[in-house]
Formats: sequence, structure tokens, C-alpha cells
Amino acid sequence: MSEVLLITFIISLLLMSTANRISTYLNILVFQGFILFGITLFSLSEMNTVNLILILMETIIFKAIAVPVFLRTIIRRNHINREAEPSVSNFVSLIIITFIIVVSMMLSTQIKNPSLNKTVFVVSLSNIFTGLYFIVSRKKIITHVIGYLIIENGVFILSLAVGNEMPMMVNLGIMLDIFASVLILGIFFNKIGDVLNDPDVSQLQNLKD
Amino acid sequence: MISIIIIFTASLFFLGIVNKTRSLVSGRKGPGIFQPVKDILRLFGKGSVYSSTSSYIFRIAPSIYFASVVIAIFMVPHGNVPGIISFNGDFIMFAYLLGLGKFLMIVAALDTGSSFEGMGASREALFSMLIEPAFFILMGSFALFTGYTSFYSIFNTLHFGNHISYLIGGLSTFVLLLIAMTETSRMPVDDPKTHLELTMIHEVMILDNSGIDLAMIMYATLLKMVMYGSLITNFFIGGLPLFMSIPMFFMIQGSLAICIGLIESFMARFRMNHNPQYILMLTSVSLLVFFVVLLILTKFN
Repeated sequence: MSEVLLITFIISLLLMSTANRISTYLNILVFQGFILFGITLFSLSEMNTVNLILILMETIIFKAIAVPVFLRTIIRRNHINREAEPSVSNFVSLIIITFIIVVSMMLSTQIKNPSLNKTVFVVSLSNIFTGLYFIVSRKKIITHVIGYLIIENGVFILSLAVGNEMPMMVNLGIMLDIFASVLILGIFFNKIGDVLNDPDVSQLQNLKD
Repeated sequence: MISIIIIFTASLFFLGIVNKTRSLVSGRKGPGIFQPVKDILRLFGKGSVYSSTSSYIFRIAPSIYFASVVIAIFMVPHGNVPGIISFNGDFIMFAYLLGLGKFLMIVAALDTGSSFEGMGASREALFSMLIEPAFFILMGSFALFTGYTSFYSIFNTLHFGNHISYLIGGLSTFVLLLIAMTETSRMPVDDPKTHLELTMIHEVMILDNSGIDLAMIMYATLLKMVMYGSLITNFFIGGLPLFMSIPMFFMIQGSLAICIGLIESFMARFRMNHNPQYILMLTSVSLLVFFVVLLILTKFN
């Protein structure tokens, strides 16, 4: 069952590469949060109940509800344009993300370690690379935050591969980390919104001493 | 043999159900479900008008297009009854027969010398080029999965056991349905009801055809839609006996028609530059099917 959800997760990446609006990105992030909930539920069932409930709460409350709501608030408060404004066309993005998935499949065949779950590895690796690609190819700062969250989802899936031994502290560390980064980026973003009216990364090139 | 009879029967009401669904959703009564076939029959009774600039290619293209679709239908099996033509690797011939028909339509459109038709031909060629890898990766995955290379053996040995094979079934139904909707120029890619030449794809290619030629093109498109529908049906009927599989065939065709009608009612046509990415997505999804097949066969781990 968790394989089905993992494949659905990859399809959400493909959908994200063709989306045109920021709100679609956020919807897909919510969707990914729910899928992560399902994957955690199915693959970590042997785990200590308290830890399991904590991780499930993290996926559902944090990834699927809190962060998207927070990002939506930022978008509304700063009057960010709803267009995603990628710097390359969506067609090229789709080709690149398909290429990323194929490459991570090919990479995973090179690993001979039998204890590694290859499906989880492929999904997490393609998530991390897709997140990096999103950060590189999108103009707005808010999409950089979204790319960062995609990378974080990828890291979370990778940690599920060793899930049953994963101590709670690692998980808390992840949670604190993204909480801090989203908060800092949010505040930073509000400040940028006050100073510059159009938060576009390309304008940062105009900064001089 | 049985598949040809039921495909031709289903083609009588398929487009009618699509149009009826669209009418009912938009609150109209709509024409009867045999209206598209009646239109085609009326066109069959009329003579053709040919432009003086067009050559013999323009005259033979509709017949070859129609014939290629009919021969492709000969290869479609039904459950455990093979198609009339069935040999190893027949899905490759299936794809290229459809390709031959499409090639002649494109050449005929260029032959008329109309600038609009050239534009439509260019778009049709681009979209067919993007669809082809999706179909081949999908059928190749199934060939790998079952170990056979003909439609009949693939569909006959295909059986769904666990969760992950239902995923394959779902994804391949999705891919085939969208391939069918793109190939027959239905809504999200192309709007068959549009009246502006600049936004048309398939319709603009057949602007100059009339009478019996137009009827053949329209009926071939209709048959193509049902043909893809029967490929989808084959995923589900497997080795069921005929008295169960034939009603199931008509049920699945009917639900596909309603599904297409609903999609057309609730979606707007894509902007022309969004179409390639939409179609390329099918290739990506069929690559995922390939990935899942590798996973099942444990070639991967």
C-alpha cells in the first residue's frame, strides 16, 4: 500500500511542474502532507505508539495544515501576484523533472545495499532534486520557500526508510528546523514586502554597495 | 471477430452519449443519442467537392485514414477472443497503422495549400509525436510485465492481484483515456465545436473535405474513440466468459462516454502553448507505470 502512495507522491511532483499558480503549489503541498500521513501510517506501524502519534501529528498538522495556511497568509498580506512566473517554460520543467525521476531510478540501481528500500530512495531523491530545481528555476521568493518545503518532504521520506529505528529527537529536529526557517523566511518576506513592492528575485541583482 | 461487431455497435451511440451528457449537464434537452451517426449517414449520401489546387493525395487520404482505423480495430482482442489479426508485436503495427492514417491526413491538409490547414497539420503532427512515446512505454511495460508481445496474450495473461497492480490498472486507464481524448481531438486539447480556425487542431485540417470524405473522417474518429475504449475495457474483463464480458464492454464504453462528457462540460480548452506539457505528462505517467512494473518484477531491488 505504501508503494501506491509513493507513486502518487511522484505524480504530485509532475503536477507541480505544470502548475501555473502559486495556490496550486500550495494545494499540492497539502496533498503531499496527506500522502505522507498515509505513508507513515502504513510503513511505521511497528513503531512505539507515542512516537508514531507524534510523527503522524507532525505530518497532518504541520505539513498539511499549518505551513500552507501560513504561506497563504503571507501571500495575502504581501499582495503577491498569483502567477507562478517560472523562468523556464513548464514544458521544459516537465522534461527536467521526468529526467530527474529517471536519473534517480538509474542511480538507485547502482546501490547494492540490500537493506535499502529502493522505492523510498527513488521517491525521496527525486523530491530533493525537484526541490532544488524549483529553487533555481522560479523567480519569486515565495516559490523558493515552497521548493525548500519539497526538499524537506524528500528528506522526511528518506528518514522513513530507516523509520523504525528513527529516534524521536531526529524528528523533533526536523520539525523545529522547518518551523524556524519558514518563520524566519516569513518575517524576512514581510520586511521585503514593506521595502520593495515587487518581491522578485531578479531585482536582487540591482543591489549595490 | 466478436470485438469488431461490438466496437461497430458501440460506435453507433458513443458520441451520442457524450453529447447527451454535455447537454444534460448544461441544462438542455439535447439531441438524441443517434444524432451524430445520422449526421454521418446524411454526409455519406452527398457528393464531394474538390479544390482545383489539390492533387490525388487529397482524394485518397480520407479512404486510407478510414481503412487504417478499421484495420487497427481488427487487431483489438476482446477478453479471451483474439482479434482477426493477431501476431507477436502487433501493438507496434497498431500504432503505426494509426500513424499512417494520420500522416496521410497531414499530407492531404498540406496539399490543399490553405495556410490554416498547414497550421493545423503542424499542430497535429506535434501532438501525435508527443503521444507516441506514451503509448509505446505503456504497452512495452505490459509486454515486460506479462512476457508476451501481442495484444491478445498481454490482455489474456494480465491479472490484477494486489494493491500495486491496481495502481498499474488505474494509471494505464488514465493514460489511455487521455491518449484517446487527444487523438480524437476532444476537449482539453482541442475543441470540436470551436469556430475559429486559429484555435482548431483536427477540425481545421478537414475544412476542405466534404460529403463522403468528411463522413469517412468523422466516422473514423468516432471508431478510434471506441477502439481506445475497448483497449481500456480489455484491462478489466480479462478471461471472463462472453455473456458477462459483452455487457461489461458496453457498460465501460457508456461510462467512458459519460466521463468524457463530464470532462468536456467542466473543463475549458487549454491555451495552445499549454498543450505540449499536458501531453508530455502522459509520457511521464507511463514511465511511472514502467517503474512500477520493474518494482513488481523485482528487477529493481
